Amino acid sequence: MIELRNVSKRFGETPAVDDISLSVPRGKFCALVGTSGCGKSTTLRMINRLTAHSSGEIVLDGQAIGAYDPVQLRRRIGYVIQDTGLFPHWSVARNIGTVPRLLQWSSDRVRERVEELMPMLNLPVAEFAHKYPHQLSGGQAQRVGVARALAADPDILLMDEPFGALDPITREQLQTMLAKLQARLHKTVVLVTHDMDEALRLADHLVVMRDGRIVQQGSPLTVLQQPANAFVESLLGGLERGLKQASLARVRDHLAPLGPASADAPRLPASYTLRQALSVMLRDRCERVIAVDEHDAPVGELTLGRLVANARTEQADAAET
Amino acid sequence: MPNRVLFSLAVAMLVALWGLDAASVAPNRIVESTGYPLWQALGWPAAGLATLLWGAMAALAAYPARYRYPALLALGTLLLVLLPFGLMLAAQRLISADMPQARLSLGPASWVMLFVLSLCLVELRLTMGLTRSRMALLLAGVAGVWWLCAALWLEPLALVQEFQARSALFYRALGEHLALVGIAVSASVVLGVATALLIRRFNASQSAAFAVLNFLQTVPSLALFGLLLAPLAWLGANVEWLAALGVSGIGWTPALLALTVYSLLPVVRNTCVALEAVNPAVLDAASGMGMRPIQRFWQVRLPLALPVLLEGVRITTVQAIGLTAVAALIGAGGLGDFIFQGLGQAAMDMVLLGALPIIAMALVADMLLGALADHFRRGDAP
Amino acid sequence: MPLRLEAPPSRWLMPAAWLGLLLLAGWAMPLAEPLWQWLAPDARQLVYQRAAFLTLLGRHALTVGLAAAITVSLGLAAGIAVTRAAGRDFLPLVAQLASLGQTFPPVAVLALAVPALGFGLFPIVVALSLYGLLPVVRNTIAGLKGVDAAAITAARGVGMTAGQRLWQVELPLAAPVILAGVRTSITINIATAALGATVGASNLGDPIIAGIVNGNTAYVVQGTVMIALLALSVDSLFSVWQQRMRRT
Repeated sequence: MIELRNVSKRFGETPAVDDISLSVPRGKFCALVGTSGCGKSTTLRMINRLTAHSSGEIVLDGQAIGAYDPVQLRRRIGYVIQDTGLFPHWSVARNIGTVPRLLQWSSDRVRERVEELMPMLNLPVAEFAHKYPHQLSGGQAQRVGVARALAADPDILLMDEPFGALDPITREQLQTMLAKLQARLHKTVVLVTHDMDEALRLADHLVVMRDGRIVQQGSPLTVLQQPANAFVESLLGGLERGLKQASLARVRDHLAPLGPASADAPRLPASYTLRQALSVMLRDRCERVIAVDEHDAPVGELTLGRLVANARTEQADAAET
Repeated sequence: MPNRVLFSLAVAMLVALWGLDAASVAPNRIVESTGYPLWQALGWPAAGLATLLWGAMAALAAYPARYRYPALLALGTLLLVLLPFGLMLAAQRLISADMPQARLSLGPASWVMLFVLSLCLVELRLTMGLTRSRMALLLAGVAGVWWLCAALWLEPLALVQEFQARSALFYRALGEHLALVGIAVSASVVLGVATALLIRRFNASQSAAFAVLNFLQTVPSLALFGLLLAPLAWLGANVEWLAALGVSGIGWTPALLALTVYSLLPVVRNTCVALEAVNPAVLDAASGMGMRPIQRFWQVRLPLALPVLLEGVRITTVQAIGLTAVAALIGAGGLGDFIFQGLGQAAMDMVLLGALPIIAMALVADMLLGALADHFRRGDAP
Repeated sequence: MPLRLEAPPSRWLMPAAWLGLLLLAGWAMPLAEPLWQWLAPDARQLVYQRAAFLTLLGRHALTVGLAAAITVSLGLAAGIAVTRAAGRDFLPLVAQLASLGQTFPPVAVLALAVPALGFGLFPIVVALSLYGLLPVVRNTIAGLKGVDAAAITAARGVGMTAGQRLWQVELPLAAPVILAGVRTSITINIATAALGATVGASNLGDPIIAGIVNGNTAYVVQGTVMIALLALSVDSLFSVWQQRMRRT
């Protein structure tokens, strides 16, 4: 549980972060979104005390962070940054084992932990353990960065634009990997990004920041359906907002029983989003698709009318709450 | 594709071989020597063979053959190894038995040959991608052969005679030289790194400190030695315990002091640059992982700065080896003694006896410390 | 550290001041007798007499100047040659040589020049040129290689010939780096030239050697002051030049 209460940060006279409050419950994924210079990175760095806050209160598991020794605090919090910050003079294995070593785990235990983590991040031990950072691709280096952050099994993970420097395909692969990891590990995550799609895709809780202030926060769906102002709307992509919304819902949640006339309709996995289903309909010029499970067995169908109607009801639901 | 570099070098050697004197002979130490061209020094058969070998080198460089680079390397090494044998032949031909005092010297052609052959080896190392250590091994082998030849058969060579006449002195001078360089460099590394750390701590002092160090470097080394004469002489005369230590205006004290002062700038500069140049993202990550400042310094900042820091030590060491030669002027000993005595007596072979080991020492130090820096750079991007 | 002066005319103040001080020192050396008296109370002679300081200064400047002229023309030519398409094969060797050559101690180079060339002005000029060549070559190569490839492509795109590209684009862009190399080379040589006094070239090193040999600190200080002032004058001239270049 991370709580920020009326937190501000001033560098000299200029406020970088201005009176923000937010709370991230245990096991939730919070994304801070905004244009560059909006104070989102500063906010993140205040949580592990790399930057000291000027006023307000930051509370971690019921205790103000000022009460922790900053070094001990950071060892309990995983930290991933855009430039990976891998130590160029250490091998991949040594890099991943940094925090356990700092915590003075026995070398056997460190090795075990490293060898347990590497496959989780698609880094075969035999191939990567002895490589040096300069021998890795951007995506591999960032996976090592994530592994390093997870090494001492921290409850909290802070990620500062972790995929910002990667190409779109690699970025998407890593986002998928992170989503899977999070579904399994349930860390409390704070992610800083300027990529709204990334935030919508990964976060349970979305915080939009501008000029050091929080403009809007809430679940991705709420923010999508009711952007607080023109700025949030433009971040959400203006007219494409409907599509982004459709990308939050899964096909499996909106299925109708299989109809008789659906034999030749295109098939797609039920885990796809409504946006992907719409795209398939547009591509194949049809108004009906069949959803299948992992074993390729049909589980239901989705029509264009139903897709549109469902998006509308969700909007209505959100409006009531 | 023809290798134009090696081809030009081979042709240059052929031109020098026939255009310049290969060896010279003097009846004794003082008298002016007479130069002999290749065919007189070696005789026609050997001169022909030499020409043939160099011609083969040019041809190999010009015509693309499958194993030409290994072959060229072998040929270049062979020529280096053959050089002392050529000298032996020349000695036999040019010096008759009734001239026991006569001494043989390398002619300009031989010096050019030595220089250009080493250029060839450098070029071959770069094209073939050989590591420093392999090349060093090869050169050590060549040097071994030369040493053996010089010790066993090259009695008439002037350099050998100079050495034999004062071998005990030579070894002592070598020891003094090494000791002076070693002590001055160690002192300046300790002081320099400490100064750099202090400068980093008190940021305001940075430009002032560098202004002083830069100024000290513009003072000619010769002058710095001279300037220390009077104050140290005074200290030696007036402070008893310093006098007991052997402090005086001439000798090792001013030499060490000046050498250390001179060596400070490269160490301080490189240490500062190296510590500042560490990627901030890496340092940020280190803090974010929960390293204490001291852990961050020892585990991340210093290891990453080490190659550049060692670069400073390399520059300092090479510079100190040269400056120690100048220190001979104020009676500090070392190999510079031979240079200045030789210049004074117009005995050029004695100058060589001092200068050649100094150059060799500088090159070896350069190579060793460069290899050490490379070793610590292993994790870094090349 | 050279001062940064804002107004253009006064930029020359610094080098002019050092130069004035240098000439003044050369002229007024004998007048500072009380100072020498204090420095070398036992000396029989207080001021170096064998030649006037301004003469020694002239010879010193001539030696360094000659060496610099040779160094700059040869170094630039070599640096340009190996960065052209035709000379590219020689680039690795020359670059390696430039860094390797730096390890040759100046005294040793000087000492080796004497057997080859004899005593006097000639060997010292040759030794200084060889020694000073390396920073110039290295910086010329670095400067020319550091020119933005886009600028060269653009120059080719607007139809410049190879020569026009070199003179109008590459050299002007590389000039600050090359100039820094020339500055290093000349500053080192001003100090190294003093060693020439040991091989019979008469210059500002003379009083220093004489002072060391006779144990006369006054002589040493006199020579040192002159050399330091010369070095500072030249260095501040270069500093102004480099600033001007940066501004354009």
